[in-house]
Amino acid sequence: MSENPTRRDIFATVARGTVLAVLGGGAGFLVKKANGQVVWQVDVSRCVNSRLGDLGVEACNLCTTECVVALSAVRAVNEYSKCGRCNICPAYFNIASAVNELGQPSEKLCPRDAIARRPIGKVDPEDPANNFYEYVIDEEKCDGCGKCVMKCKEPLGLGSITLRVRYDRCVNCNRCSISKACPQDALKQLPIGQALQPVGVKRPG
Amino acid sequence: MQYRHVQTIDGKGALHGIAVDGHGRGEIYAACVAEIKVFDAAGKLVRRWPTSRPAQSVAVAGDGAVYAGELGQIEIFDGAGKLRDTWRDDKLLRRVTAIGFTGDSVLAGDSADRAIRRFDRRGRFLNDIGKDNPLGGLLIPNGVVDFGVDGQGIVHAANPGKHRVERYAPGGELLGHIGRFDGIDPAGFTGCCNPTNVAIRDAIYTTEKAGPRVKAYDFGGKLLAVIATDLFDANCKNMSIAVDSRGRVYVVDTVKQTILVFERVSA
Repeated sequence: MSENPTRRDIFATVARGTVLAVLGGGAGFLVKKANGQVVWQVDVSRCVNSRLGDLGVEACNLCTTECVVALSAVRAVNEYSKCGRCNICPAYFNIASAVNELGQPSEKLCPRDAIARRPIGKVDPEDPANNFYEYVIDEEKCDGCGKCVMKCKEPLGLGSITLRVRYDRCVNCNRCSISKACPQDALKQLPIGQALQPVGVKRPG
Repeated sequence: MQYRHVQTIDGKGALHGIAVDGHGRGEIYAACVAEIKVFDAAGKLVRRWPTSRPAQSVAVAGDGAVYAGELGQIEIFDGAGKLRDTWRDDKLLRRVTAIGFTGDSVLAGDSADRAIRRFDRRGRFLNDIGKDNPLGGLLIPNGVVDFGVDGQGIVHAANPGKHRVERYAPGGELLGHIGRFDGIDPAGFTGCCNPTNVAIRDAIYTTEKAGPRVKAYDFGGKLLAVIATDLFDANCKNMSIAVDSRGRVYVVDTVKQTILVFERVSA
């Protein structure tokens, strides 16, 4: 190249640099992905099912319908340290259903019956309200429809149930099909260490 | 029985517990983030003074002393805000979300231990209320212990996880309860845990979360009135409630940080 480069020389240099940068970035992403360092995860502060402030709306089930994995790679996960272990859990019962002879809602909420309820600790057989209950999600049944998540969030519940990508199921698409469909842009690519951390739900903005 | 919304008082910032004075002056006391605020009957902020720790609750004793429930302590002020005494106990008063009086004792709801503590007027611990059960306390997934005291000195405590208001003798004996779960019938309490807050006067007054609702029951548990439902922000929870000697009902909107006032409509 001459000491006084022409405009063509300058454009060629910039173009080469741009191509190298793009290739380098892409290669970096692929290396990271191959190492399992970047994965898709639900940002629970964006997901309409768990985001605080969105009340009275139907649960969004795009994680169920849009995922390329059969039954979805997204599951409802109950963070036990936050769970109130309530007698009447709005994520387990359909609290708008008629009350049965036990004084409980007569219907369950989950359409796939994926939540199991059992009393824990010292059990009072006389008074069901006098017990703590454990709510365990059967991940073989759960399809991530989000109904329980919507009912668990504050102020109705404590927000212990959120939707999370399960990495034994997720095939880690370059462009997650749920993320393409999610109107809240709630699917994010994160370093795996960050993606595995429990995330508190907060009010947006 | 019917009620109408007659006034909205701007809380001038975050509001936790509220109380009304027992002297018919219509003053409203509010426990805020780090202070006590006093509003006159017209809703004007007339006095305010700082608390040394975050205030969770407030109550006005018969002698006019103002008790502020805080984290780890109760501060006792005169009506002008001058500090008279501090009861500090990191074990028994970890988070004082309600204060009341019965006979010659002071009651403090400690939500950290899901119990009501009973002290004598000098601050000596006497006994717990609501703790002697298989669950080791009141069921409060909502994080607040609240109660009221009736004219006979009986303590009426919200037990939201059981969808009940329980009656206790001052010594801690469970005497009975009103309330049941029902997600359809307004006479019941819905959700995981309601009622969250309670006030006692001529009736049992309750507030609920999700959706916010204010109701009155007779002491036998019969629903007397649904006082309000849709006037509050839908995200409200733990809405403190107080009732004055004229029967006016004061309820905190915890999101809008206002106090809504309701008055009984004459039949």
